[in-house]
Amino acid sequence: MEAWHALASTDFFTSAVANQLLIETTESSDIPPGSAGALEHPRLPFISYPYEWTFTMLKDAALLQLDLLRDALSAGLTIKDATPYNIQFVEGRPIFIDIGSFEAYQPGEPWMGYRQFTRQFLFPLMLRAWIGAPFQPWLRGAMEGPTPAEMAQLLGSRKRFSMGALLHVRLQARMEKRMAGRSVRDGLKTAGFSAQLIQANVRKLRSLVASLEWAHEADGWSDYGSCDHVARDRESKAEFLKSAIERTHPRRVLDLGANDGHFSGIAAAAGADVIAVDSDEAVLDDVYRRSEGSSLAVVLTDLANPSPGQGWAGTERSSVADRANPDLVIAYGLIHHLIYHASIPPEEVVRWLRTFDCPVVVEFVSPADEMVGKLIGNKRAHELHPNRDEADFRGLAGEVFDIVAETQLTSGTRALFALHPR
Amino acid sequence: MIFGYLDPGSGSMLLQVVIGGAAGIAVAAKALKQKYQLRRGTYPAPDGEEPAESIEDTSLPSES
Repeated sequence: MEAWHALASTDFFTSAVANQLLIETTESSDIPPGSAGALEHPRLPFISYPYEWTFTMLKDAALLQLDLLRDALSAGLTIKDATPYNIQFVEGRPIFIDIGSFEAYQPGEPWMGYRQFTRQFLFPLMLRAWIGAPFQPWLRGAMEGPTPAEMAQLLGSRKRFSMGALLHVRLQARMEKRMAGRSVRDGLKTAGFSAQLIQANVRKLRSLVASLEWAHEADGWSDYGSCDHVARDRESKAEFLKSAIERTHPRRVLDLGANDGHFSGIAAAAGADVIAVDSDEAVLDDVYRRSEGSSLAVVLTDLANPSPGQGWAGTERSSVADRANPDLVIAYGLIHHLIYHASIPPEEVVRWLRTFDCPVVVEFVSPADEMVGKLIGNKRAHELHPNRDEADFRGLAGEVFDIVAETQLTSGTRALFALHPR
Repeated sequence: MIFGYLDPGSGSMLLQVVIGGAAGIAVAAKALKQKYQLRRGTYPAPDGEEPAESIEDTSLPSES
């Protein structure tokens, strides 16, 4: 509670909260027995993890982390760690949520979170910007992020003349190896290490992070919105969704296969908190950039392999399904990808939609559709799952849902169904 | 919020003196001076203790 009082008494805290950089925090009078005190935050609509963020999200979070440290140091405080798990996104903007990370700065102390900052923010961003590889699989597989030595290996001979690569990657890897098992904290203190030095590091790191850019490549379904059938049917799909929203009044909508976020936007405009899920980082990055001020959260994950429970005992970071809790699910332009591309049997897909335990609006795509033809690629008919026709879908859906509305799209190969769980 | 133990890493801490550029020069100079004094046994120990006997008593890197 001492650290909290030190933080709460500063102008830094007041202005960071007012600018929505730091989560609103008040002292609670409801103190659990044996505790020194309790703090209260407003409940966030949705929690997401760095391995579900796009490049620009992690970059914005990194800049927030550095800006808060800069301002905290000016107010005589420091942030003792530097992990993106302390940052969440609300209305399309990052916000710092871990009040317990702030403490009074002790003169002579180095920046304790520097190494963690490089592993969990800087290296993942470099991975995308400099090597062209997605950082999310790495952060999902190794939650602490790449070590300096691993990052040096990944960089290879790239960026040989970059000061950022030289200092934060190569030199850090070397010094880590050389100084292993030795303590330097007291030595740095007597040598006069100061907050001013941390400020200088933060300034330089900030300009390095700001310089990292990811040139989007429109691959996969990024240009989906320009397909003919999409333009034709988009209006009918929007109307069908609006009817479903009027019927169900959802507080929370989960848009699976959100693509460019068009339908997520319609649900958000109707007043719902929306979680837009897609596996295409390029389109989702654009959705994030346009989401400021809206009740739209972005989650990058492959629905055929969604984020599992992670960390200690598999419960420290819960699975995306456990966090979703929707009142309405949108599954437009999705299930044919699961069936034909990810090879999930149709009956499994229907069963999975039922697990959300809420109404679903779903677009069914028949085997005759031109897009299905592309998804099938070189597979032969006997290599595909059975039960792919519309009649099969009706039968499967009818086992666990009531079909409360349906409409055929002008393409002739697609239909929309509104399903309510039985 | 689950609280994580954070290992700041000795190498990473020391590196901060280097990255600091101009701001780090004074610190680096003082650190090197300490190291030199330790070698010669003239490092002023606090509170009248005996001078440190070897470089390993300090946190600074030795030449390899």
